[in-house]
Amino acid sequence: MKFVCLNCETYMNFEKVEKPGEGSLGVFFGCPSCGAKFSMVTNPGETQMVSSLGVQLGGRSAQAQPFEMTRGTLKEEAQAGSGQMAAYLNEKIHGGQPVSAPSAPGKTGDKAGGGCPFSAMVAEMGLTSGGKPANGGTGNPEFTWTPDAKEKLDRLPAFVKPMVQSSVEAFAGKHGYQTITLQVMDDSKNDSPNGMSWTPEAQQRLDNIPDFIRPMARKEIERLAKERGAATITAQVMDDAKDKFMKFM
Amino acid sequence: MPQEKDLKTILSRLRYTDDAKVVAQITEQMKQVQARMAGIKHKLVIMSGKGGVGKSMTTVNLALALARQQARVGLLDVDLNGPCVPRMLGLHGRSLTMTPEGAVPPVGPLGVKVASMDFFLDAASPVRWKGPMDVSPVWLGLMEMNVIREFLADVVWGELDYLLADLPPGAAADKPPVIAGFIPDLAGAIVVTTPSEVASDVVQKSVTYARDMGIKVLGIVENMSEYRCPSCGELNELFEGNTEAMCEALDLPLLGRIPFDRTLARTFDKGKPLLDEAYPTIQRYQDIAGRIRTLLDYKRVLAEQL
Repeated sequence: MKFVCLNCETYMNFEKVEKPGEGSLGVFFGCPSCGAKFSMVTNPGETQMVSSLGVQLGGRSAQAQPFEMTRGTLKEEAQAGSGQMAAYLNEKIHGGQPVSAPSAPGKTGDKAGGGCPFSAMVAEMGLTSGGKPANGGTGNPEFTWTPDAKEKLDRLPAFVKPMVQSSVEAFAGKHGYQTITLQVMDDSKNDSPNGMSWTPEAQQRLDNIPDFIRPMARKEIERLAKERGAATITAQVMDDAKDKFMKFM
Repeated sequence: MPQEKDLKTILSRLRYTDDAKVVAQITEQMKQVQARMAGIKHKLVIMSGKGGVGKSMTTVNLALALARQQARVGLLDVDLNGPCVPRMLGLHGRSLTMTPEGAVPPVGPLGVKVASMDFFLDAASPVRWKGPMDVSPVWLGLMEMNVIREFLADVVWGELDYLLADLPPGAAADKPPVIAGFIPDLAGAIVVTTPSEVASDVVQKSVTYARDMGIKVLGIVENMSEYRCPSCGELNELFEGNTEAMCEALDLPLLGRIPFDRTLARTFDKGKPLLDEAYPTIQRYQDIAGRIRTLLDYKRVLAEQL
């Protein structure tokens, strides 16, 4: 934070910090041109903000001790209880009276009673409370799922199904398929989000490495291919990748 | 009436100086974190969007498993408000030793070094901060991030092969991914879930968010996969989920499955962890640790096997 002396049109210099009271800092500035003095006094929140940064205004005179801020800010058992800011706010807002419990929430659908403060915004965005498009729908009508493919999709857990469905449909759309078969589902698994395709030989070589490394390997090889402007992962790209990884040994 | 001065014009003529030395001190803090982390080969975070899935149990056992494989291991318990790692490793009541070089962590079973907020607290005390944090999560968030910064900057870990950070629960724009982003040269995140669909749903979100933050997610550990009967040792399913399907959808490897093991859990509860490598559940942690090591060394594997 800086202050400007508008008379002299220059920044005021930071001069010193004092502690006029508990939870408060007095930060002094002076104009280097006209000598005007100015002091900013922080409230407990602002003081805490500075303290939480683990810095000392004006710089440190001694090196920080290990865990200086943690140890200095942890409240001792005897100090436990409501904080000073809470007490201050309680005094100002509630006149020192205990805060009454919030009124019981309205029943589901009780719009007039308040309800979710974001419900109007959500409605405006055309979303349901679950965050899904309000028009719902079970899938893209452009595609027909064969019964066996649909059955395989339906066997997936509910939380995974939408992700898999949209990914298979995106693959089908990209390749011009209108009917989604088991084969299309299997092929979509090998489809790369980078738009890369794999030759059978390259795929076979990828399948030879341990399964838990395969996703990372796929990404690395596709990154290499992309760097070299290739759209298809061939045996040659695999050889190049192998050479590249040999350099790390 | 004096003419109002145009601040934009005035500022364009002035040169900013950091005479309160705030920026300089924050830069110095970041350098200190970098310097302290430089002696650690692999830094990993263990995270999950969902609470109660067994992150700490997984982290502690992976740390022990890596230590059994002759690695030098540190364990940072970043769950400031619910630290439990020291108790699980029989270190509750110990503390960091403050020296001019920094805070020296106590050493637990198999030589694992541990740092935790628990070392600053009395037996039953929760974490309470001085100041107005009780009315503002904004101040609290800032405070906690700087406490974590001190854990990263001030603990004298020395040379380590692995530092495992046990993150608090949280799925998105709250602390865990931000904390992970705080660790320089982070090798990646291990995500813990249970087969429960509720847990998997939240975990999935945390993976997406972590990736958005540029954190490499290495794989998923399924905890509480089954229940190992303490009488006959038979395994039975606890939940009806499908972590494999989730892994496939997220394009992540399933690093392993850990059963809910009452016998093992009780030893950690009492702070006297079972360390027998031949014990079946511990063997599973050993396998997962081996896979993590391979994943971190994947370039060598690809050079040899591609």
